[in-house]
Amino acid sequence: MKNKKKIIGVVLIIVAVSGFFFKFPNIIPAVDDAKAPVHSYISGFYIENAISQTGAHNIVTAVLADYRGFDTLFETCVMLLAGITALMVLSSTAKVGKKQKVSKEIKNASFSGTIIDTAFRVIVPIIVIYAFYVFAHGESSLGGGFQAGALLAIAYMIDRIIPSFNNSLGTFTEQGAAMTAGVGVFIYIFTGILPMFNGGNFLEYGRLPFGAEKAAELHVIGITMIEIGVVVCVMATIINILEVVLERTEFDE
Amino acid sequence: MSVLILEGMFMLLLIIIAIAIIFGKDLLALTVIYSVFSFAAMILYILAGAADVAFTEAVIGVISTVYFIIAIKSISRRCK
Repeated sequence: MKNKKKIIGVVLIIVAVSGFFFKFPNIIPAVDDAKAPVHSYISGFYIENAISQTGAHNIVTAVLADYRGFDTLFETCVMLLAGITALMVLSSTAKVGKKQKVSKEIKNASFSGTIIDTAFRVIVPIIVIYAFYVFAHGESSLGGGFQAGALLAIAYMIDRIIPSFNNSLGTFTEQGAAMTAGVGVFIYIFTGILPMFNGGNFLEYGRLPFGAEKAAELHVIGITMIEIGVVVCVMATIINILEVVLERTEFDE
Repeated sequence: MSVLILEGMFMLLLIIIAIAIIFGKDLLALTVIYSVFSFAAMILYILAGAADVAFTEAVIGVISTVYFIIAIKSISRRCK
């Protein structure tokens, strides 16, 4: 009976959503449609000026880190807040509350074995190298700070959840990870404040107090600095949530 | 035209996976199916020309799968 209600709900949602898109087929513009509303106002400005103004060949990076620097700043702050909230909600009750017991067979059966060990022993260094590649070439290829931080966090995650690795990358405590995320946000805001000593506005990379011949070079330096902040914050936040959740998972027999 | 057919196939895959996640019982299997959802969404982003978003989706798909598996490990209920 309960399942029947679910089926009716699912069918209704599918019919409603697909009916909406059949009624208004132009709601999603075609990929190469230059006259679509989303492509016709500010995109042209970005396409014409992004490379000469910011020195970033990837316009997505130029928009995210330079033209929309404030957005990225507060997205980074949201990541930090998410990590702190997970720490507050999960870690305090985990230590006081009664932990659920899971039989030992389940614990030992998961995440171990020769094949997993060997495979991940090869994969972890490659992931770390790729993360630094993504970070360093974020201005000319895919990715940027967020993706690089997430890749570093994946390397840490693999190291953390496979027991035979013995945490060879070292372990974060939850509080340490949250503090590191705060350091990332600090780097971002510090980069924003630096131009203000040189008579500029907040996040105005063209006024950074470094010697450079062209303004585009200063923009490249500014983008690199805030990307460092984003990498640190994202990596530490993901590690923070991982450690908080693992804290509840470590069973006592 | 062939791109449209490919997009349609992956959209159908998304709908099927979403229904499977609603009606499924085994949480661990559903987590793996959810990572397939992430993969199909990634292909759709690539077809739409948003390679940066696709990259983010791939990375976040891996991380959320690990989170889900650890969370499932910590609760005693594995199947309904």
